Amino acid sequence: MTDHLVEAQDLKVHYPIRRGLVFDRTVGHVRAVDGVSLAVPRGSTYGLVGESGCGKSTLGRALLRLEETAGGQIVFDGDDITQLRGEPLRVLRRRMQMVFQDPMASLDPRQSIQSLLTEPLRVHGLAEADREEFGADSSASHLAKAVRMLELVGLPRATLEKYPHEFSGGQRQRIGIARAVILNPELVIADEPVSALDVSVQAQVINLLEDLQDALGLTYVVVAHDLAVVRHISDRIGVMYLGVIVEEAPADDLYAEPLHPYTITLLSAIPVPDPVAEASRERILLSGDLPSPANPPTGCRFHTRCPWVRDELCRTEVPALREIAPGRRVACHWAESIAAGRLAPDADAVVPPRGD
Amino acid sequence: MSTVVGGAAASGSVGGGPLLSVRDLSVVFGRRGQPGFTAVHHVSFDVAGGEVVGIVGESGSGKSVTSMAVMGLLPARGVRISGEARYRGRDLLTMPDRERARYRGAELAMVFQDPMTSLNPVVTVGTQVTEVLHAHERLSRADARDQAVDLLRRCGIPDPARRLGEYPHQLSGGMRQRALIATALACKPKLLICDEPTTALDVTIQAQVLELLVELVRDLGTAMVMITHDLGVVAGLCDQVNVMYAGRIVERAGCHELFARPRHRYTEGLLASIPRLDGDRSLPLTPIPGTPRDVVAWDRACAFAPRCRFVTDACVRGDLALAPLGPGHDVRCVHPAGGAAPGAVTATIQEAP
Repeated sequence: MTDHLVEAQDLKVHYPIRRGLVFDRTVGHVRAVDGVSLAVPRGSTYGLVGESGCGKSTLGRALLRLEETAGGQIVFDGDDITQLRGEPLRVLRRRMQMVFQDPMASLDPRQSIQSLLTEPLRVHGLAEADREEFGADSSASHLAKAVRMLELVGLPRATLEKYPHEFSGGQRQRIGIARAVILNPELVIADEPVSALDVSVQAQVINLLEDLQDALGLTYVVVAHDLAVVRHISDRIGVMYLGVIVEEAPADDLYAEPLHPYTITLLSAIPVPDPVAEASRERILLSGDLPSPANPPTGCRFHTRCPWVRDELCRTEVPALREIAPGRRVACHWAESIAAGRLAPDADAVVPPRGD
Repeated sequence: MSTVVGGAAASGSVGGGPLLSVRDLSVVFGRRGQPGFTAVHHVSFDVAGGEVVGIVGESGSGKSVTSMAVMGLLPARGVRISGEARYRGRDLLTMPDRERARYRGAELAMVFQDPMTSLNPVVTVGTQVTEVLHAHERLSRADARDQAVDLLRRCGIPDPARRLGEYPHQLSGGMRQRALIATALACKPKLLICDEPTTALDVTIQAQVLELLVELVRDLGTAMVMITHDLGVVAGLCDQVNVMYAGRIVERAGCHELFARPRHRYTEGLLASIPRLDGDRSLPLTPIPGTPRDVVAWDRACAFAPRCRFVTDACVRGDLALAPLGPGHDVRCVHPAGGAAPGAVTATIQEAP
């Protein structure tokens, strides 16, 4: 059996919608994450992609127990942590850390970099393995560890005395990553780690994340909307739509042969920086916008926009995420027929290649 | 220097010349008596009728300021604009405000990045779409309304009659961008400037909006300037591409030529640093070192020199000209990629004025 570091079983996160000034009534729930199961093998990278509002960030946060769960289970390193609270949860936090999207908003502008980097150490203390090298917890040993982390992310020692505003976006993200891995965590959840950065700087941060994974044996869950970025760094990818995973596949297979209609349209919609490929790219356009997650469509959640939508089955029956080939899970009643070409998309949705 | 290509140039242009011709456009921000910040540095480009011209660059490269200057949307105070931007031979930069107002919205239109901040939140969508029609075509209220319904429908907004009475916050992001495009196209402009029109949108919505733009532009014969940081969008839409870095055009070529043979080291680096959906995953990305803030002044050296792997003394010896390196391919670089031996190229570029 594969060694999974973190697993989710039918995980649900619902946000209450409240109305009324005097009597606070809950009138419904936004089903941000609505029954997600996934397993992340130790040392690998799991990518979560989807459009805004699909629940990918909420799922990432829920895995770290940063969101109240409405149902389901989170298993970390073999232990059920869904109901963990108080001191045991606090102790667990050192093993799971997060890298945030906007490095300007996630670094306190009034803390020096030294203070920012050593704060996790002041809270949790040095990791066991680091005590041998750096000595017992003290400001001197914390400082030594912080300097080591800066070296690891490629920033000079002089960084310590500076403040976040003195750095560019890419450098700030390096600091955010150094802070996340200073406790030697096992799991790092990166929520849109490069989307706030300039195009020419994104590759630096992507390479840094990969180097750190090799050096420290980290397990990543990378949440991002940019499928090209996710595909590059992930081993496995989960595609989310309206709070559920609709398809899960190894990174290469997902691009080579997408199975779920949503994945097919998503991939067809992404422009490629190559005019030759662009000219021959057939696009499948989705009609309309994402339905409200407070009131998701019945049956398959994608049926309101799906160019392959068939009949009653799509409208009434929720498709299970089932394994149709080794390592390939897809939640579509018609996945086999679509893959075999027996079902064609609605002709109106297909935009022929632009040609030249 | 001309970027006019193909037969498309003839349609919609006067006397065979380009529709829009920008020459030596410079924009300097700063207060009097203080050294200013040059956001745009001697930028020249042409847009022929019906042509789609891309301006690509990262944040701070001056691509948006260029378009704002052409449209006369920069504030009068604290900004010094020089050079010219001729629309059908008339210089937009020096013409009186009232005259420019006659062009703007009617013949020249603009689609902005963020439809939440560029649509007025306290005015209904209908009023904002019909406003242009009232101002330029002097339509009656009922006619303008009919036309607005028609426009919104063509832009793919369902139930347009009801949408006219709604406010921007009642529309989704994609719908807002469609409403903004409808406003821009209301008077069938000859030239449409799109400043990151899909950056705020999700990728499936982006595909819808880009498709709409391409279709409308093709139907109306409108020329388009597409300003974006997304090389994928450029590859799919543009005929000509200008790459900007630190306020200057560093490379200009036809779309296929640019992606097949990038010659400037910045363009080359940018293409090597972005992960491609159809690329080989096992190959590591080659990032460009440094950040877009590491620049030197253009008049002393190549602004990209601090980040360039191929930098030599020749790169920091003075101003560089945008020199032709092939048919329709201009590059501002001492050591262009895939070219002749560096020494030979250095000589030609230093002779350029």
